[in-house]
Amino acid sequence: MIRLSPGGKIFVVGNTIFLFGVSILCLLPLIHILALSFSSSGPATANEVKFWPVDFTFGSYKFIMHKSEFLTAMVVTLKRFSIGTAISLALTLLSAYALSKEERAFRGRTLYAWIFMLTILFNGGLIPWYLAIHQTGLLDTIWALVIPNGVQVFNVILLLNFFRGLPKELEEAAFIDGAGHLTTLIRVFIPVSAPALATITLFTIVYHWNAWFDGLLLMNSPAHYPLQSYLQTVTTVRDLTLISSQSLDDLKDVSDRTSKSAQLFLGALPILCVYPFLQRYFIKGVVLGSVKE
Amino acid sequence: MGIPLLIREGGSSEPMQRKKTMRQLPLHLMLLPALVILAVYNYYPMAGAVIAFQNFTPAKGIWHSEWVGLDNFDYIANLPGTLRVLWNTVFIALMKIIANLVLPILMALLLNEIINNRFKKIVQTMIYLPHFLSWVILSGVLIDILSPSTGIVNQVLSLFGVEPIYFLGNNHWFPFVLVASDVWKEFGFNTIVYLAALTSINPSLYEAAVVDGASRWKQTLHVTLPGMLPIMILLMTLSLGNVLNAGFDQIFNLYSPQVYESGDIIDTLVYRLGFVDAQFGVATAVGLFKSVVSLLLISLSYLLAYRIANYRIF
Amino acid sequence: MKNRKKGLLAIALVLSIVLVAACNGNKNNDSSGNAAPASTAGTEATQTAEASQSAAPEEIDPLGKYAAPIEISTARSMTGSMKFPAGDTIDNNVWSRAYLDDLGIKVKNDWTADESTFEQKMNVSIASGNIPDLVPVKAVQLKQLVDANMVEDLTDVWNKYASPLTKQIFTYEGNITLDSATFNGKLMAIPAVSGSFDASTLLWVRSDWLKKLNLPEPKTIDDVVKIADAFTNQDPDGNGKKDTIGLELQKELYERNTGYAGIDGLMFGYHAYPRFWIKDASGNLVNGSIQPEVKAALLKLQEMYKAGLIDKEFGSKDTNKAAEAQGAGKNGLHYGHMWNPLFPLNASRDNDPKAEWTAYPIVSVDDQPARPGITQSINDFTAVKKGYAHPEAAIKMLNLFVNISNDNNLETSQKYGKTPDGIEVFKFAVLRAGLPNGNLNMHLSVTNALKTKDTSKLTLAQKDTYDQITKYLSGSGTTAEWSMDRIYGETGSFRAMNEYATKKLDIYNEFYGTPTKTMAAKQSTLDKMEYEVFTKIIMGDSIDNFDKFVSDWKKIGGDEITKEVNEWYKNK
Repeated sequence: MIRLSPGGKIFVVGNTIFLFGVSILCLLPLIHILALSFSSSGPATANEVKFWPVDFTFGSYKFIMHKSEFLTAMVVTLKRFSIGTAISLALTLLSAYALSKEERAFRGRTLYAWIFMLTILFNGGLIPWYLAIHQTGLLDTIWALVIPNGVQVFNVILLLNFFRGLPKELEEAAFIDGAGHLTTLIRVFIPVSAPALATITLFTIVYHWNAWFDGLLLMNSPAHYPLQSYLQTVTTVRDLTLISSQSLDDLKDVSDRTSKSAQLFLGALPILCVYPFLQRYFIKGVVLGSVKE
Repeated sequence: MGIPLLIREGGSSEPMQRKKTMRQLPLHLMLLPALVILAVYNYYPMAGAVIAFQNFTPAKGIWHSEWVGLDNFDYIANLPGTLRVLWNTVFIALMKIIANLVLPILMALLLNEIINNRFKKIVQTMIYLPHFLSWVILSGVLIDILSPSTGIVNQVLSLFGVEPIYFLGNNHWFPFVLVASDVWKEFGFNTIVYLAALTSINPSLYEAAVVDGASRWKQTLHVTLPGMLPIMILLMTLSLGNVLNAGFDQIFNLYSPQVYESGDIIDTLVYRLGFVDAQFGVATAVGLFKSVVSLLLISLSYLLAYRIANYRIF
Repeated sequence: MKNRKKGLLAIALVLSIVLVAACNGNKNNDSSGNAAPASTAGTEATQTAEASQSAAPEEIDPLGKYAAPIEISTARSMTGSMKFPAGDTIDNNVWSRAYLDDLGIKVKNDWTADESTFEQKMNVSIASGNIPDLVPVKAVQLKQLVDANMVEDLTDVWNKYASPLTKQIFTYEGNITLDSATFNGKLMAIPAVSGSFDASTLLWVRSDWLKKLNLPEPKTIDDVVKIADAFTNQDPDGNGKKDTIGLELQKELYERNTGYAGIDGLMFGYHAYPRFWIKDASGNLVNGSIQPEVKAALLKLQEMYKAGLIDKEFGSKDTNKAAEAQGAGKNGLHYGHMWNPLFPLNASRDNDPKAEWTAYPIVSVDDQPARPGITQSINDFTAVKKGYAHPEAAIKMLNLFVNISNDNNLETSQKYGKTPDGIEVFKFAVLRAGLPNGNLNMHLSVTNALKTKDTSKLTLAQKDTYDQITKYLSGSGTTAEWSMDRIYGETGSFRAMNEYATKKLDIYNEFYGTPTKTMAAKQSTLDKMEYEVFTKIIMGDSIDNFDKFVSDWKKIGGDEITKEVNEWYKNK
């Protein structure tokens, strides 16, 4: 594909060095944080840790993981993103399929599309949202974390565009065989959409993995917190102005820089592992959607 | 929104129509679960936005809080410096939109020139990494590297005889620091999108160009860029919806009294208002204002995308 | 070809929307909480409750046990560092059992939340009309609940049921404590006893540097400037480089917000009290930020900044960032609070075992003593839901805690306070209160015991501290024990705090009510202006900007606020 002219060689070398430099620039902060998480808090507070741990210790990780809550929270998280991804994927497939029809084949799809779209632009705020979840009886259950956010509108739009790009002949052939919409979706559309599905699965997993605020607010006891919510509670910086005689002891936990780093790293690690693997599909998902005539 | 979508087939007969309705019923049903969820958890709570017109206190609730008409909007509009804040917001947001459009394209072009697939993949993964770091953490790093006395950036500049610059304390430089650091954090994702677009340009076009004797530079100019142009336009129009989002987390962690003048944005203003006393009504009014502007701009984008690139976004 | 392009665009587009969404999506989580429908507590319920109360008068006993156990619901704030003995939970622990066994009160936790989200969760609870019987709230929320008539008047039950010891604790600082929860003469909640005295400003100095450079202990502002100068220019760390900082500040300006590295101490030295409401000659309240004393102090700060005696980049550093220089042994002078040895000075000690820090009382610019200002207002309250049949139960629970925590018996203390393996079970108590001078007493008793070697009079907590300090003094202590010595030890921060107490130097903010109407609307704007103007003046802007600030301040709403504050003051 690439044919090098003599001058091109210089360009390639320069380009490679440049891109390498940029990559390093992006990598360094993460290494810095990793180094921090393995350092003891004195050097960390003095900002003496650069890219290598000072006074190497597992202390921060022990601090975060030594409690039984860590495991409980891990289980909740696994539940959350397996149920959540399943629900979200099912809803996304159904909606995207219907919305991918042209207006003449499905009257009202444009109106429906805008109904979906508007939810991104407008929201009523925290309190009414909480009340809706409260009134539907989901509070303090795993369902509160997976149903209200079950429709990921952007994923729907992603997939509907992918469906739209599929050859019309596929669908027509199915209809001629007498298949209904649902059968067409399951038998015809899903098998050819693996890359796109992988992409939205990645997005959904990342979403459920990273979400922490809803867990804190919607669960009534820490035993029901997902992992990120739990991590948030162990490393939150305490408000120094609230220090009173009774909480003087708590100050010992304040120097949080190292455990905050460990939290960040633990939180991002699974995604960092999964991402390069899914990236292949991700690119394919984009490309495949565009390379049919 | 009534773009081309209302085209109907003329002259279909009655039974044809019935059959079509029957055929469409399952489609409605397929949307039903999602619509129910949206209705209960999005549209029902949306009614809460009416507190933008109230002097709301949680204890009194929506129906018993005092109605104040447009007072909340009035209040914001009359705060000293609101205009400045609005200007900062739009200025910073627009700069970010443009930079986040142009730089990833350049990056994608350069990356596309790399033959070694493994290297390409590694670079792709690494430039996505900063996305995972929060601004709380990054702000600490930025303060270090931009420090006028010890920061690496100023040390490099001093090699060229440039006087140390207090990037984070200087109203001239501060917005640019915001834009540059934002691009650095988020450009990986966009680069991947463009790269995907690039790799899907029909190779036969390049072959034809080579036959015509075009240099690589010419190929880029006449094949690659035109191939990407529609995406660029579309990304641009779409991001217009973000023109009032200048990035709360980033600015909140980086700004300070000395750069309020150039760095104070709508969201930081609302944050401070909420901090002193829980002014729910005012915060919601601002939110509503932002939503309406976003809606207008997204609608405009939708229209533009259709007109210019002949493409329906959704 | 066209199709291909289209499909490609489709995906690319959508991916980009995902980005846009990712930005928008986070917004929900910010502080901008929003709307709510709600049903306020019915008034009928209230009436029936009152009726039943008067129908069955109880014998008044601050610790009387209910014959038939009653139930009381509440909500609990938890911290990640909270530990439980094996088998115990927040619902079933030594305190919940004590409430049931000793008082016949069964505590039911409707919900628990991490302290970081507790306030928000309480907001949604209030908005849904779904508050527990015992409601832990912040000041703003209390005012809302009182305005909406959702909480009980506790005046009577307080007077009848609060034990003498409980009353003593709550009146230790005069009327300030109970007044903070009093609306129109009625006590509407139990305030947290703040111990605001503990938030007095001190001058922290690297005393080993002081000795090394042969400098006198700070007695005046001039001494402070001299020390800052020497610490900047005379290479106190002895590395041959001019890389040390004189006075450390941070971008929040006031240490009352952060407990560390502010300008308050120096301001107090000039008898300036920014953001305080103070009495003027005519007995009216005026705002401290706009007084001429502030101008003088700013001028001095500007002078120091120009001379390079203040961290050049303080304007962009938050507390943690500012503390780095200290930890790295590059700074040895700041104004801060008594607990600084626990954070961040411990880092300095960790990194340099020779680092020694001493707290001095703040110093004055003239022959008048410098008087530290205390602005901390009480922000935590426990109210009782309107219509709850046994409001006195709250007072009884409080009495029980006061009783048990003042019982100096090893067994009791280990059962209800801190277990032998260090678990702080006292935190499980629903209502807590202790004498606000606990820390000062700790210092006095411990130092006395260190002199006399007689530990028999120490309480268990004091003995604990005593042991830590002796361990440090014997030379085998860790940084944590060093910190305890720097706080409670003979030359610890409480030596200076004790001086404030014995000379009665502390000045309190005269306004401690809930925010007035104009305050709620304009205070954040005024504060922002103040931060901006003061910071820029310190960094070199013309001092004339201060006069402009004063007139702007008055115009933008300051005059209005002053009027409202004085109205409050007269009706207090």
